[in-house]
Amino acid sequence: MHIIELIFSPLLALLIGVFFLGLARKVMARIQWRYGPPVTQPLIDIIRLLSQKSASHGVAFNIGLVMSLAGSLVITLFLPFGKIAPMSNSGGMLVILYLMLIGPLGMAISSGESANPNASIGISRKLLLAMGYELPFLLVVLALMTAYNTTSITEIVSLQRDTGWSMFTFPLVLSGIAYLLILPAMLGVRPFEVVNAPQEISSGPLVEYGGPYLALATLQHALAFFIGISLFVNLMWGGAANPVIFFLKMLVVFFLGIFVNAVFPRLRIDQAIRYLWRWPSLIAFAGLILVCVTGS
Amino acid sequence: MTGMEILLLVAFGGVMLTYILGRISSSLRNTFAVVLSLVLVVIIALMYDKTGETIFYRGFFGIPMSFRIDALSWLFAMATSVLGCLSVIFSLSYMSDRKNISFYYSMLFLVNAGMLGVVFSGDLLSFFIFWEIMSWSTFLLISFNRGPAVAAGLKYIIMSIIGSMAMLAGTISLYTNYGTLNIADLSHLTVSASPGYQLFLLIIFGVAFGIKNAVMPLHTWLPDAYTEAPSPFSAVLSGMLTRMGIYGFLLIIYVVVGAARFLHAADSTVSSFNYVLAWLGAITIVIPTFIAMLQNDAKRLLAWHGIGQGGYMILGIAFGTNMGVAGGIFHTLNHAIYIVLLFMSVAAIQYRTGGVRDLNSLGGLIKKMPVAFIGALLGICGLIGVPLTNGFVSKWMIYKTLISGRAPFLAFAALIGSWGTILSVYKFLHNIFLGQLPEKYRDIKQSPFNMKLPIIVLSSTILLFGILPGLPLRVINKIVVSFGFDSLNISLWGIVSESGMLNTINLFAAILAGLIAVWLFFRIGARTIPVKQDDNYAAGAAVPRDRYSYTAKYYDPLFRMISPYLKDIFNTFYMKIADLTGYLSNGIRKIYTGYVGNYVMYIVLFISLMIFVQMKWSPW
Repeated sequence: MHIIELIFSPLLALLIGVFFLGLARKVMARIQWRYGPPVTQPLIDIIRLLSQKSASHGVAFNIGLVMSLAGSLVITLFLPFGKIAPMSNSGGMLVILYLMLIGPLGMAISSGESANPNASIGISRKLLLAMGYELPFLLVVLALMTAYNTTSITEIVSLQRDTGWSMFTFPLVLSGIAYLLILPAMLGVRPFEVVNAPQEISSGPLVEYGGPYLALATLQHALAFFIGISLFVNLMWGGAANPVIFFLKMLVVFFLGIFVNAVFPRLRIDQAIRYLWRWPSLIAFAGLILVCVTGS
Repeated sequence: MTGMEILLLVAFGGVMLTYILGRISSSLRNTFAVVLSLVLVVIIALMYDKTGETIFYRGFFGIPMSFRIDALSWLFAMATSVLGCLSVIFSLSYMSDRKNISFYYSMLFLVNAGMLGVVFSGDLLSFFIFWEIMSWSTFLLISFNRGPAVAAGLKYIIMSIIGSMAMLAGTISLYTNYGTLNIADLSHLTVSASPGYQLFLLIIFGVAFGIKNAVMPLHTWLPDAYTEAPSPFSAVLSGMLTRMGIYGFLLIIYVVVGAARFLHAADSTVSSFNYVLAWLGAITIVIPTFIAMLQNDAKRLLAWHGIGQGGYMILGIAFGTNMGVAGGIFHTLNHAIYIVLLFMSVAAIQYRTGGVRDLNSLGGLIKKMPVAFIGALLGICGLIGVPLTNGFVSKWMIYKTLISGRAPFLAFAALIGSWGTILSVYKFLHNIFLGQLPEKYRDIKQSPFNMKLPIIVLSSTILLFGILPGLPLRVINKIVVSFGFDSLNISLWGIVSESGMLNTINLFAAILAGLIAVWLFFRIGARTIPVKQDDNYAAGAAVPRDRYSYTAKYYDPLFRMISPYLKDIFNTFYMKIADLTGYLSNGIRKIYTGYVGNYVMYIVLFISLMIFVQMKWSPW
């Protein structure tokens, strides 16, 4: 049973992530009064890309990308999906926070070796954006860990079963709001689509990838999307005892993200940091103080 | 003779012998230096798990001087000797074309011997003497390169003397109060000391160790000193020598004052001292890490991280729970490993490029120096604390302590420091090894074997301690128990605490399986063609050769936002004081003109003033 979960949960995460990518294109198309590609289009693209030839810029170019996807796959073992969390005994929230570094870091090393200015600019923006949203995000996570007095994510989820969603419990309200405000930045959708901005910097870090590289990068992107949403649902919307309900909750968050994506124009990177460090950070900071003051 | 006496004899004897042999033949000296440093490692390794104390000299004004060994001193001595040995091996080719090499080696051994003396001192008098030997020989090595290095060395030694004077004052005060300087005796005597006196001791020694460990606001000597010192010595300096401050803090807080007994007492001053120290640690993490982001000099960037990482150690130690102290000590060890590795990677680059360490003029060296790249990559992973590296485990322990100790704001400072670290070290890695290879470095060669060897050893240690943290934690657990804390619940690959556990071997297995799976998946479909670095897509325009300047201001948007807040005000303040002192001293010097006539005039004037005073007020 355990072994099945170990193999099953990364695959499920990949599947849902790719499904979300396809659905996003369809929903965006409908919002813009287009018909749009079929939902399975990203999957078809990945299969096609895997059969194509591509240019390689060196060893780090290959290994960085593999490392990036592997790191993201490992996170899915720690993140509860419904009740499925096969490796939650080996580490909690702190391990997840640190595993989340491997994805961007591997990507950065890989595309850094390609000596393409667009890639370098994209990575610089990615790291800056991460710095921008990590500041409020860490405050939110610390508020949660302090309020529930645990660093285990499964415990945070199971405690919410008694108290209700942490977003709507008293001392965590502010943290919930702050998390909601930074969620688009964490998912990398517009107005925070600065990293991959296709019209400005030719998709940034992705510029040199083609064929199997692009397939891996797409899978990594899908997983990152999955992890961002799943983390929010687990931490703020009480997770779920049942995978189906968990998926429905994720779908709601996904639609929220897409709607934001559809109506906002892209910010500049300095505007994005300024936004993230102003209201979300202040609210998250106030939230942490509130938790400390009201906590036992 | 006991092991410790033999050890110190070998260590100090080697200093002179190295210099004398250097006069005869340089290859003889090099062989001797390597053998000597290996012998030191072996002797210390043989002393594992021993405790004891021997008096080696009775006659110093009736104060006995002694050596002692326990788990704490063994750990620090082991780290010192191993890193010293690697540094000597690394220096063999790095220093080969310099002048005064014999002097360099003998000073390197003197620093090493001084550090060994410090950690094995059984009383505060010998501690002080070895501390001074260590500080002064460090000064000579920092200034080794002349030019700006002399100014950096002077800055170091002046701050170091201020610290030493504070330590001397504390030592004298202890002697007048208790009549002994023996550390073991003092730890029994200070139980009955008043809270005020304990606080006095902690602060006055805290100044000395705070300067050595570069705790903000006493950090200003460090960036210059690390940058200007010869690179293999920068490694020793950042890895061990600066961390003698941590040894000192542990010694004064947990051995001499015995803080584990007071931390939970209501009216104790120790806990408030520790609270302030923890906050200083948090500030020391955040500000230097953000300053590091703005540096363009590879060694200076690492130097600022050296300060920042010192903050983690202070934070862990000052928080005063068993896991926090263990995490602090473990982080000291881990930091030593990865920062030495990083300095060595930079030194390897410097060796091949003719001393270039400006991040904006390097690039693309991964293809030319893969070993240095692996070293730098694992080094920065350790520095960030990526899972499976040693830095992750110790940082995990510190965060865990802070969160379960209900100090989320301290934890926030520590966490955000890690995220700041990523930005600056990625820039470090990218600008040296990734990006475009400049034309002038096209024919660059790999580093020689004796540079690769230390890099490989240290890289594998990073992974070893990250996957099996139980190895060093077993020793560290003994230290923590000897301080009077509860034993930690550790196994070879994991740590269990009251709120959650960490299992590094499972993590390792998962990541390995993930890597293999993705690699296979990638290999099935991949048909790749290797291309040259300028064969890339730039939207119709060619990427210009040798003008890959997109990384010169890598974090410019952030830079413009935060740089006004990141002035090193303390440095400016200290330099103003130094200028003022220089100005005053210059004024005083004008009195000493060198003419006998003037001096006679001063004497006559002084006597007439005295006569006038006596006639007017007749005080005598």
